[in-house]
Amino acid sequence: MGKRVLIVDDAAFMRMILKDIVTKNGYEVAGEAANGLEAVERYKELKPDVTTMDITMPEMNGIDAIKKIKEADSEAKVIVCSAMGQQAMVIDAIQAGAKDFIVKPFQHSRVIEALNKVTG
Amino acid sequence: MGSEFDQYLSTFIDETKEYMSTLNEQMLLLEKEPDNMEAINEIFRTIHTLKGMSGTMGFSNMAKLSHRMENIFDLIRTEKLRVTHENSDLLFAGVDLLEKMTDVISTGGTDESVDISQVLSHYERILRGEELEDTSSNNHHENVEKPPQKPMEESEVSSDSPIDIPNEVMSVLSEGKDSGYKPYYAKIKLEEGTLLKSARMYMVFHKLEELNSEVLYSKPDVEKIEDEAFDREVEIIFLSKLTETKLAKALSSISEIENVQIFVLTVTNESGGKPMNESEYSEQLSSKTNDEPQNLKEANNKQTNQEDEDSNVKKPQTASSKLTRTIRVDTEKLDTLMNLMAELVIARSRINETLKKYEIKQVDESLAQLTRNTSDLQNIVMKIRMVPISYVFNRFPRMVRDLARKNNKEIQLIISGQETEVDRTVVEEIGDPLVHLLRNAVDHGVESTEERMKLGKPSTGIVRLDAKHEGNNVVIDVQDDGKGLDRDRIISKAVERGLVDEMSAANLSDEEVFFFIFMPGFSTMDKVTDLSGRGVGMDVVKTSIENLNGSISIESEKGKGTKVTIRLPLTLAIIQALLVKVSNLVYAIPIASIDSTLNLPTSEIQIVQSREVVVIRGEIIPIVWLKEIFQLSVDEDKENIHVVIVKVGNKKFGLVVDGLLGQDDIVIKSLSKLLKDVNEFSGAAILGDGSISLILEIANIVHQNV
Repeated sequence: MGKRVLIVDDAAFMRMILKDIVTKNGYEVAGEAANGLEAVERYKELKPDVTTMDITMPEMNGIDAIKKIKEADSEAKVIVCSAMGQQAMVIDAIQAGAKDFIVKPFQHSRVIEALNKVTG
Repeated sequence: MGSEFDQYLSTFIDETKEYMSTLNEQMLLLEKEPDNMEAINEIFRTIHTLKGMSGTMGFSNMAKLSHRMENIFDLIRTEKLRVTHENSDLLFAGVDLLEKMTDVISTGGTDESVDISQVLSHYERILRGEELEDTSSNNHHENVEKPPQKPMEESEVSSDSPIDIPNEVMSVLSEGKDSGYKPYYAKIKLEEGTLLKSARMYMVFHKLEELNSEVLYSKPDVEKIEDEAFDREVEIIFLSKLTETKLAKALSSISEIENVQIFVLTVTNESGGKPMNESEYSEQLSSKTNDEPQNLKEANNKQTNQEDEDSNVKKPQTASSKLTRTIRVDTEKLDTLMNLMAELVIARSRINETLKKYEIKQVDESLAQLTRNTSDLQNIVMKIRMVPISYVFNRFPRMVRDLARKNNKEIQLIISGQETEVDRTVVEEIGDPLVHLLRNAVDHGVESTEERMKLGKPSTGIVRLDAKHEGNNVVIDVQDDGKGLDRDRIISKAVERGLVDEMSAANLSDEEVFFFIFMPGFSTMDKVTDLSGRGVGMDVVKTSIENLNGSISIESEKGKGTKVTIRLPLTLAIIQALLVKVSNLVYAIPIASIDSTLNLPTSEIQIVQSREVVVIRGEIIPIVWLKEIFQLSVDEDKENIHVVIVKVGNKKFGLVVDGLLGQDDIVIKSLSKLLKDVNEFSGAAILGDGSISLILEIANIVHQNV
């Protein structure tokens, strides 16, 4: 069975894209969340092998969500999804405990590389 | 280019449209409250998401435009740019272009066909103007936007040259030696096309930190790395207790690293740092100073502080948040669900009626259960179809703002009750009539600023849009505090058109006079609108409201303003109807149009101006015999007649029927297209006993027969 991924992004569209990429490459989508708060909740409930986390989201941003997830599970593996121009945010996210980052628009190979490396 | 993503297109469009309405809404708010950080952040986030989405779909114009808008909002967010009317206009223009591109895309076109160059060049100017003032503090912003890659050649300059180690680093190296740390030199090369190189390089530093290693020196230095002022290679010197292999493995595990060269460092004082044997190393290092590599330490401290502040600031925000979970459903499916639901209710009633005859106790109980369940289900299905009227209202603030600016008027639109829920079908149909009414209010209702000042009114005109539930209706008011309707002008126009004679016109109530502007062609005839302040295409508005089984009325006071009230049923799918018998057929009359019912002696029918009328409480009401209209067999005269008094607009009419059967919820089924010329009926309904009843279209029946 493939590794289970929790996909977090406020745009359903982006979730769809990611879902497609991961499922085509042998991963399983454990669940989705549309903001940081939901992500933390879903993380606790689903215990995914890896989480992809958007940064700019309503309710709670990705960085705070990573911190909360890390508090709940210090072994949590999170990959941040960022857009161009969010360098500082990505650094914050890595400090918060993100294992890798991917940049929008996503290149399939990069997404998979990140997932493989983080879960491997 | 977007072809591989065609399957995502509809989600993309739906979501983009939602974001557009958020943008419009928040920008209006921001224009009013330029310091509203929440609005700024919301806009920034929305634009940012749009940028990512359009980039992913390969809509490069959209991505480009949203990227620039994001930059501008970044300036606003960091308080380097103020929101003014002028740049608001420009930003609104950007939103419009985004909207236009979305429309073009949704109709199968490409965003490239929309010209964004003009707006973009304005944006560039805003951005440049800012940078001139702020070059020192605004470095970060500009650097991040640089193209991700420089040409290869530039980088090669520094690649293999031996690293120069400053003296202070040398001294730390020696300290490390004592405590069991080994000094290492590493050259890390990123893959070609790596995005966010600083962040990627930061991961290298972060990884080393995690491995209890201490980075002493890097080339280029940390500031340059942060500013992305490097190509693909960074050289570092660090202390670690781990072996070369372990370090190499750890660093290579980071994504997008093409290769890592790593070896234990030996240093000679004279040469300033050439890789040497470890054996030589201990003898070479002698001098000690306590200087530490400043920039790295400082950078680290700064980051930790920032992190602390960030988490403090953001906590209160998360406490008040609320989760909503929704899914998108094709509206066609909802319609089908509704239809099936209706059939189910009918089937239930039929079973009910059939089984009633047998009075079986067990069946009665389960039937009662079934009845409860189906009505609960019906309620839920109804609710699913309900959407807040804000779906329509949301676009109005923007529209009124633009109209007001175009007319050089100051107008405040006050919306209330936007959370009022109505059926999806109503929401779809109500938009245009409301646009019409608001336009009228802004264009013709509210006076110009100077005129208002002269009249002693506040210079800002107020237009109110309000929605509320009233029983099974939703009531929408469009009200302005403008000049109001001019009764005399309307009367003279009406007399001119032969709608009324001067004598009787004088006796008409205001309501009756204002009703003339709903007459087809009344207003467009002679620019009555400009004189009376109202009326463009009001007949069209009235017709569309009536098509929704609704009604419309006007109140107005000269000089004070005008209020148009629209009354609509909550849903168009199910209506309450009075079932009446005519001859041996059952017809349904929508309750919404019924005023009252009467039982009169036939002798009370009087003839006025060769029309049959009845007089009720002094009011003369024309009557129509339904059986004559439908050409049904006429029974011999009865002593008493049943009259259903209906209201069309503000006028009352009596429909004579043979009997009243009772009130019922009926599900409207529209008539087939073959029957489109039949305008006496708005549809048909299946009754509890399985028989079919036609639903009367009261307005048409009255117009054709009175």
